[in-house]
Amino acid sequence: MTSSVVDPRELARCRRQIFLSLFIALAVALNTLEFMLPSPAPWFRLGFANILTLVALYLFGGRAAWTVALARILVGALLLGRLFSPGFFLSFGGGILATAMMTGARRLAGERLGPIGASLLGAAGHATGQLLVAWLLLVRHAGLWTLYPPLLLFALGAGLLNGIVADVLLGTLRRHPAFARGTTDQVGGDVSPSGE
Amino acid sequence: MALKALWRRMTPLDRMLLCGLLGFALLLCVLVFRLPGGSRLVVERDDRIIYRAPLDRDRRMRLAGPLGETLAVIENGTVRVLASPCRHKVCIGMGRISRSGEWLACVPNHLLLRIEGGRSSAEDGYDLISR
Repeated sequence: MTSSVVDPRELARCRRQIFLSLFIALAVALNTLEFMLPSPAPWFRLGFANILTLVALYLFGGRAAWTVALARILVGALLLGRLFSPGFFLSFGGGILATAMMTGARRLAGERLGPIGASLLGAAGHATGQLLVAWLLLVRHAGLWTLYPPLLLFALGAGLLNGIVADVLLGTLRRHPAFARGTTDQVGGDVSPSGE
Repeated sequence: MALKALWRRMTPLDRMLLCGLLGFALLLCVLVFRLPGGSRLVVERDDRIIYRAPLDRDRRMRLAGPLGETLAVIENGTVRVLASPCRHKVCIGMGRISRSGEWLACVPNHLLLRIEGGRSSAEDGYDLISR
């Protein structure tokens, strides 16, 4: 019988990396699946991939959420062959604002903000970011903003759904020993840097 | 029942966010819905107006763009795109417009259809200008 003694912090970092790459892979898969679903217009997206960003945010902290969101947008765009196309800039702008709102609110509110609230903020941020980019790059016309209310309403509905799924997923994951509280939150997360 | 379970899942801050954002979105919807109805359709191609028509008469339009012809119709005061040579058909998916300030765009075909003017504007001395 051999057993190697590994630094527990090193082990946790390794574990975090592996789970983050799994999250990114899942997010890209969901992104692609969503792209294949029929949709009335490119603005109205369900944003299933955001579930994984939320899970990363709540398990590993803000930096992990940024990693998952940015990697998902870039790899997803590469896979669908629309890197640097107008649609890519829309989802890029939306993704940046959504992730900024989610991580920012999580940092400000801490435990008071649940996954559902973060998901709603992310959805609103995505809708706003998309239209902002569309307004800056595509149509410099004030009438563009008449599209905002229905878009926001749709995004909030989708965000609520994603938030519930993320909450259920988080509840399941946290029962697993690999994600037990204390083993993940401290390492590399920017919520409580005192652990390092 | 399901709603109650959902409510219990959320933190107080989540509930506030949900109500606040939903209220904000609904308020904006009401504001847009109450925009005055428009009186005429203006079609622009690369920032130049290529077509104008009043909304109160039904009509079909063939609008030329770099990709080909986009077919649009005016029906009962609303405008929609019926067919377009572009790839994603976003302009068709955008549905109907009727209120002042609303628009339909076909970005690949460089066309922007927008609605102007209140219904009772007195400046409408003409009923059609085509260039």
